[in-house]
Amino acid sequence: MSDQPDQSDQPDQPDWTDGRPIFMDLADRIAADIIAGLIPEETQVPSTNELAAHYRINPATAGKALNRLVDQGIVYKRRGLGMFVATGAPDALRAARREAFADQFVRPFVQEGRRIGLTIEEIVALVTKERA
Amino acid sequence: MTATTPTSGARDLASGHVPGITLRHVTKSFGATEVLTDVCATLTPGRIYGLLGANGTGKTTLLACIAGHTFASGGEIRIDGRDPREHAPTLSRLCFVREDQAYNDAFTVADILAVMPAFYPDWDIETATRLVRRFRLPWRTRSKKLSRGQRSALAIVLALASGAAYTFLDEPYLGLDPTARGIFYDELLAAYAASHDRADDPRPGRVAAPAPRTFVMSTHLIDEAADLMEEVLVLDRGEIVLQADVDDARRTAFVARGLDAEVKALGVGRELLSSRRLGGITSATIRGELSAQDRRRADEARVSIEPASLQELVAAIGLHGGTDQLAPHSVGSTHGEPLAQTHSLAAESESDQ
Repeated sequence: MSDQPDQSDQPDQPDWTDGRPIFMDLADRIAADIIAGLIPEETQVPSTNELAAHYRINPATAGKALNRLVDQGIVYKRRGLGMFVATGAPDALRAARREAFADQFVRPFVQEGRRIGLTIEEIVALVTKERA
Repeated sequence: MTATTPTSGARDLASGHVPGITLRHVTKSFGATEVLTDVCATLTPGRIYGLLGANGTGKTTLLACIAGHTFASGGEIRIDGRDPREHAPTLSRLCFVREDQAYNDAFTVADILAVMPAFYPDWDIETATRLVRRFRLPWRTRSKKLSRGQRSALAIVLALASGAAYTFLDEPYLGLDPTARGIFYDELLAAYAASHDRADDPRPGRVAAPAPRTFVMSTHLIDEAADLMEEVLVLDRGEIVLQADVDDARRTAFVARGLDAEVKALGVGRELLSSRRLGGITSATIRGELSAQDRRRADEARVSIEPASLQELVAAIGLHGGTDQLAPHSVGSTHGEPLAQTHSLAAESESDQ
C-alpha cells in the first residue's frame, strides 16, 4: 500500500502484491479461516459489503471471492439471509490442500534444494530432521 | 452486486436510453492544443472506475467534459442517454469537484456546505457532518485559508455527500496524509455500498428505486487505490488506450528480468513499454500474454517473470508515449510497435531515467 507506514489506520490487509487476482487471495483467506475453525460449519460468512469495508476493496471483488467459494461448494447461499459455510467444508478444504501440497510446496522446495546443490537424499534427511 | 440493472435502468432502456456514460469520439482543444483527440468509452452505471494516466494526458479535461463543466469540441457525451448540457435533470445528478476547485473566498466551510442542497437534490447532511468531523475540517475557516489537504478533504465531503448518481473525483488525495486517505477509502466504499443497498431494497412509497451510484476517480496513487476500483480506464495522449477489469488490466503486461539478450528474445513480437538496465541485466515491462511454453523457455533462460503492477503498467504507457521524442534511436517508431531486432533494448534504456 502506501510508502508511509500507518499502523493506526491500516486495514487488515493481506499481501496482494504477488500478482494473483485479489479475489483469489481473498477466497483463500476466507477458506483459511474456515479450515482454522474461525467460521464454523453452518455459520454465516461476512457479506460482500462487510468484506469490502474490512479489506478496503471493491465490493465486486469481494463478490467474486464469495462466488468462487460457492462454485467450490465451500459456502452456499440462503435466500435473503446471506452466505453460509457448508457442512463438511473444512474437511473438503483440507483434502483439496493435501492434493495441491506436492505442486505448491514439495516441488518448489525440491527445486530450490537442487539449485543450491543439495542432493535428494540430503533434502529428505532435512525433512526427517524436522520431525524431531 | 446484482444491482447493475436497477428498475430505473430498465425504464431507461424501455424509452431507448442507454444507462451509464457513453463517450463517442470526444475531442477537446484549447486553442491549437488538442487535449482530447478521440475518446471512446462506455461506463456501466453502479461501478467504481479509475481514470488513470500521466500528467497532462487530459484526465481533468475529460472529467470536466463529462460533467458538463466545459464543452467538448467534438464527439458525443451521453449520460443515461441524455446530453447533460441540454437536460437539467441529468445535470443535477452529476457531481464534479475539480482538483483546483475555486470557491468564493469569503465563504467558510460551513457556508459552502449550507448552499449544497440547492445544487444536489439528494444532498446528505448527515454524511457531510460526519465527514467534516472525521477529516477535522474547521467549520469557520474561509475557503481561501484552507491548506491543500483541507481543500482535498472538502472536495471529498462534497462529492460523497452530494448523493449524485454520477460522481467524479479528480485527484482526491492531493495533500492528504495516510490516515485521511484511509478515511476516504472507508467512506467511499460506505457511500457506494449504501447506494447499492437502497437500489436493491427501495423504500416503500418511492416511485422507482434510485440507481446505485457511479464513481469515476482520477488518481496517481494507483496501486494504493486499485483495490477499490472495479474497472480502469487509461488515458494516454488524449485517447483511452486501455479499459479493463482491474485484474485483466494487470494481466496485460509483465516485467521480465534477466540477461539483455534473453529478455530481448522474449520481447520479440511484443510491445516494449519500458526497460531499465543494470550492467548486463535488463528489466523490461512488456505488454502481452505469455503461454506456458513461453514461461518454461523464460525459466530455462533464467529470465524471471513478474506480473506488472497497475502502477508500473500505467507509468510504462506514459513513458512509452514520450520515448518517440526522447530517443533518437526510435524516431519513426509508432505507438504500438512490436520489439524489432533493430530496436534494441539497450537503446531504449538510454531514454530511461
